[in-house]
Amino acid sequence: MPNPTQKFDLPTEVISNELIAENHYLLRCSCPEVAARALPGQFIHVLISQGSGLLLRRPFTVYTIDDDQITMLYQLIGEGTNVLSGLKFGDSIRVLGPLGNTFDFSVTPNPAIIVGGGAGIASLMLLATALRDADVHTLALVGSMNQARLLSVKDLQAIGVDTHIATDDGSVGHHGFVTELLTHLLQTHDLQNPVIYACGPDGMLRTVTKIALDSGIPTQLAMENRMGCALGVCLGCVCKVQLSEGGFEYQRVCTEGPVFNAEDIIW
Amino acid sequence: MSDTHPSLQVSVADIRMRNPVMTASGTFGYGSEYVDFIDLNQIGAVVVKGITSVPWAGNAMPRIFETPSGMLNAIGLQNVGIDGFIDKKLPYLRNFDVPVIVNVCGEQVEEYLDVTEKLDAADGVAAIELNISCPNLHCGGMSFGVDPKLTDELVKGVRKKTTLPLLVKLSPNVTDITVIARAAEDAGADGLSVINTALGMAIDINTRRPQLANITGGLSGPAIKPIAIRMVWQVYNAVSIPIIGMGGIMTGDDAIEFFIAGASAVAVGTANFVNPRASLDVVDGIEEYLERHRMHSIAELVGSLEVP
Ligand SMILES: Cc1cc2nc3c(=O)[nH]c(=O)nc-3n(C[C@H](O)[C@H](O)[C@H](O)COP(=O)(O)OP(=O)(O)OC[C@H]3O[C@@H](n4cnc5c(N)ncnc54)[C@H](O)[C@@H]3O)c2cc1C
Ligand SMILES: Cc1cc2nc3c(=O)[nH]c(=O)nc-3n(C[C@H](O)[C@H](O)[C@H](O)COP(=O)(O)O)c2cc1C
Ligand code: FES
Repeated sequence: MPNPTQKFDLPTEVISNELIAENHYLLRCSCPEVAARALPGQFIHVLISQGSGLLLRRPFTVYTIDDDQITMLYQLIGEGTNVLSGLKFGDSIRVLGPLGNTFDFSVTPNPAIIVGGGAGIASLMLLATALRDADVHTLALVGSMNQARLLSVKDLQAIGVDTHIATDDGSVGHHGFVTELLTHLLQTHDLQNPVIYACGPDGMLRTVTKIALDSGIPTQLAMENRMGCALGVCLGCVCKVQLSEGGFEYQRVCTEGPVFNAEDIIW
Repeated sequence: MSDTHPSLQVSVADIRMRNPVMTASGTFGYGSEYVDFIDLNQIGAVVVKGITSVPWAGNAMPRIFETPSGMLNAIGLQNVGIDGFIDKKLPYLRNFDVPVIVNVCGEQVEEYLDVTEKLDAADGVAAIELNISCPNLHCGGMSFGVDPKLTDELVKGVRKKTTLPLLVKLSPNVTDITVIARAAEDAGADGLSVINTALGMAIDINTRRPQLANITGGLSGPAIKPIAIRMVWQVYNAVSIPIIGMGGIMTGDDAIEFFIAGASAVAVGTANFVNPRASLDVVDGIEEYLERHRMHSIAELVGSLEVP
């Protein structure tokens, strides 16, 4: 019987890799095995180049799936993403995946509130698509440093998601943090059965967690930690998680995560 | 089969293996994590994550950091504890025809003895690897592996508790590794694993904070291979028990270098993170080398260094 959670490690070639916003790229490759299985929130572990001098792979969420192809949207951070951004059509990478757990929307959120900070929105696009497919009323709050770095707004609007923008410098949308948009939304609307889904910098996720705890709204966070294996063996990627029976446990972002309930994370 | 087809079978410290390639402790979990990529029956031996007498929570984050040709880790021996291992992890491994070697850690001799006794009674354990060298714990394994008296006391204690083959895993963070190697041999070790990670440190120059919450961590990967080769060669010249060589092995050629330096078997560690099939690729590389050089077995290579 085929194993639905089977993971693959496959060589593939870059189909396209383009600058889509200041400091951010979108890479497309053909990866039928991953495309057929990846669920919202799941990620791939990418071996960028054996000749690049880098040892470890780099983790990126599956941004979109189009038939046999997957895309990933990534921010330039350091050496790895820098080498990645130089790849051209036909260059090879290895893709390990699909990895990790997935967002849960089995409770039928109304609305589902997607909150993405910076490249964090990349981890929420597949979710937005799945919510659309499930006819879930969805709102997206997208934050970025400035207009030049704004990500995904068009993609979200294209699938019919009501999208709101915040920029640190006010160059477009709300002048301030995306979490302020969230607070405002909750204060001004009487929401039926809201669920928050968030990914972004630690500071943002902490604020989202506080909002979640204060308002009692169920909230799921996609966590991003440094990774070694992404297969659950090195224990390098853990975050501190509250246990229902009391005490805490370090759980693996690559295996138990990347999606965690906000109320369980101990910052 | 042509008569030049080499045999990869080895028996090291009475552990019979279909090939001389093990997985290094802490880099292969409990085996199950890799079955999508590897047939465990094709590995020489599976060495599982270090086990302690009670579960350990592990260190704060961040725990890992990539460095040139290597990585630092300070995991802090997060593990399920010996009872959890025997109940939840070992039964799965019994489904395979592969020797399972259990890496044992502790902060005190009593803990090592407790774990050893339970492993000795368990079904499906081929050998014990004593981690006397974990550099991550403030008051832990470190102290045993840097002191010949402590090593002697610990290995003798454990030796009395088990008839299983006993490997002792040495720390590179010592002035003269041969002193500890001899102490372990004299105390009853059947083989030596050489080396564990080398103590290192990295700093974020913008925040001036250490890259690891633990401040220091163990360096692994190709960066430490020359140190490991040197230490295998030194230990080979100092003891008569077999050596399992490890440290930065990525390819079959790397493994061959360890055999020439004196290792009878090797273990693949950090490479598993880069390439989940690494251990089997190393097996293939070894086989190719033997064929190319018309050798019939690993034994022809072990300690075959030609000193000019
Ligand atoms: C599950 C998961 C999904 C991710 N999805 C995306 C995505 O879709 N788009 C995107 O732009 N980024 C994503 N990230 C973050 C991305 O992996 C890092 O930005 C990237 O690894 C940086 O590599 P680098 O070599 O350029 O940076 P360096 O700073 O040189 O990397 C050094 C080390 O730190 C790690 N690292 C650095 N920053 C991060 C970070 N923020 N999170 C995790 N590890 C980090 C690297 O993997 C590497 O091991 C994700 C991270 C995780 C864990
Ligand atoms: C993340 C990580 C965890 C490790 N955990 C253990 C452990 O629990 N016990 C042990 O004896 N060695 C442990 N090691 C050391 C390895 O088994 C091996 O000796 C070392 O990494 C050198 O080999 P390598 O360069 O091929 O990784 C660990 C190494 C890494 C990278
Ligand atoms: S990255 Fe190795 S356990 Fe998660």
